[in-house]
Amino acid sequence: MHPILADREKLFVYLAAWLVIAILIAALVAIPGDLGWSFALAFAIPASLVYAFICLSAWWLCRVYLLQKTNVLKLLGVYAVSASLSSSLWILLCNAWVWALNQSQIPGFSGERTVGETRLLFGIGVVLYLLAVAVHYLIIAFEASREAERRTLDMRVLAQEAELRALRAQIDPHFLFNSLNSISALTAQDPAAARSMTILLSDFFRRSLQLGAMELIPLKDELGVIRNFLEIEKIRFGKRLNVAMEIEDTSQHCMVPPLLLQPLVENAIRHGIAHLIDGGTVSLRTRKENGFLTIEVRNPIDPDRPKALGTGVGMENVRRRLRTLFDSAAHMDTSTKNDMFSVEISFPAKDSVQP
Amino acid sequence: MKERLVEHLKAIIVDDEDLARSLVREYLGASADIDIVADCANGFEAVKAITELNPDILLLDIQMPKLNGFEVLELVQHNPAVIFVTAFDEYALKAFEVHAVDYLLKPFTRERFDQALALARERLSRKEVQPLAEVLATARNKGLPLERVLVRDGSKVHVIPVGKIDYIEAQDDYIALKAEGKTHLKQQRLAELETLLEPSRFVRIHRSYILNIERLARIELYAKDSRVAILKDGTQLQVSRAGYDKLKGLL
Repeated sequence: MHPILADREKLFVYLAAWLVIAILIAALVAIPGDLGWSFALAFAIPASLVYAFICLSAWWLCRVYLLQKTNVLKLLGVYAVSASLSSSLWILLCNAWVWALNQSQIPGFSGERTVGETRLLFGIGVVLYLLAVAVHYLIIAFEASREAERRTLDMRVLAQEAELRALRAQIDPHFLFNSLNSISALTAQDPAAARSMTILLSDFFRRSLQLGAMELIPLKDELGVIRNFLEIEKIRFGKRLNVAMEIEDTSQHCMVPPLLLQPLVENAIRHGIAHLIDGGTVSLRTRKENGFLTIEVRNPIDPDRPKALGTGVGMENVRRRLRTLFDSAAHMDTSTKNDMFSVEISFPAKDSVQP
Repeated sequence: MKERLVEHLKAIIVDDEDLARSLVREYLGASADIDIVADCANGFEAVKAITELNPDILLLDIQMPKLNGFEVLELVQHNPAVIFVTAFDEYALKAFEVHAVDYLLKPFTRERFDQALALARERLSRKEVQPLAEVLATARNKGLPLERVLVRDGSKVHVIPVGKIDYIEAQDDYIALKAEGKTHLKQQRLAELETLLEPSRFVRIHRSYILNIERLARIELYAKDSRVAILKDGTQLQVSRAGYDKLKGLL
């Protein structure tokens, strides 16, 4: 929709400006001749208002031929043609209107009057059209800057939200309380193991908090947290949990948003391994390829498992963070095949300064 | 010799984590009159053990593979004194609170465990029955329709995803689920199951039938005011007048 037509207030200001133009045109045609002001105004006001709407059509051209993306010659060509066409159309309408006024029975109007030189009117029509083009470009620029402002604000809010969600997801109550219960069990049976699990758990939370406060971290740091997490889960799940990691060396130095992968691995256990009597293997693969970092997490699933509420919150969180950070350059695909669930994310790889 | 005179209690521990089971085993070790007769790592094992061993006390974790703790209880007919154990489960906790049922939150102290055990013993001696059916109903009522129906056949459990059900027929105290050419019997009232199923997929077409509308081929007039639903596999089911109205509303 046209921004001026869509907004009553803007339309009012626009038409008011054209009313001023109408008076100027009336003066132009009235002063040199013996036309008379009433006839000049009766001609100029409707003629200007009609042209006001014709000039609005420039909007669609301005939208197609954006200033920054079109070369100057093309712009000149496009607007020379469109201004001439619009102005010619206007001249035609003007002449028809003058003829109609001359034919009318209104006292003082009938006769054989003409309104100045056609060439002059044509010139005015071209100038007014080009003026309208300039106004439309201004509107586009203004809206673009407002949109950009809104987007940065949105992004900032989203980023903060994602960070909060990531941190909250970190403290998954199942994980925390079950881990503490494992420690409680180990205290009597194997005090050394109890101690080492306490330390693993502390390390995990400490690292999560540290990394969560940063904007981007090297993948190898993120993998450190994940190994830490998996070690704890291995104590809980015992033989049911196997882990296979295939980390391509060059990928390790790529920068990633902190705690991006952790929810994926947590999902693999919570919605995959935890529902399988004999457990299974969570595999994590990372590689750097054609400037993109690709990470895949795979896990077996029980197709008959009860669908838990809250499934997908972690996934959605990851998707949103990727969108905020990389826009359309990031991809995230999930698939389920032969009772295997896999999620793959990829985004532009940026190496850390000090590998 | 004296110990023989004391009546021993049979206990079953159900938890999918080894360490969690060993902790309960350790705590129970202090009670000489309790015999741990089984140690189950998942819902299927639990249903089998409870059915075969008829325990007095059941230490039951909620979150497990295959069947959760509530589903295990739904499938067994015995009424042991249940001590619920959970790390965190909003819905379960809400259900326990609503029905004033005792439960243990992981991790728990030996004192707290002993207290729960004492309460369980008291219930056993008074032959008091916990409101398990009500707890189950509250815990299950997450506002979501049932996704699978559980059926026990002896000590074996069948999990039937609702999409595989053709129709369900009421048979005295039982319901018969027809799915993939098989018939599964379950002790439940048709009206109860009806409230749990998704109303846009499963329609009570008759006093005795709930139909999966995906299986419906056509409806034929049988006599005045009496219709019959023909399923895709040719099965014919009677449709009551109210049932026909419901079907018409959906199709």
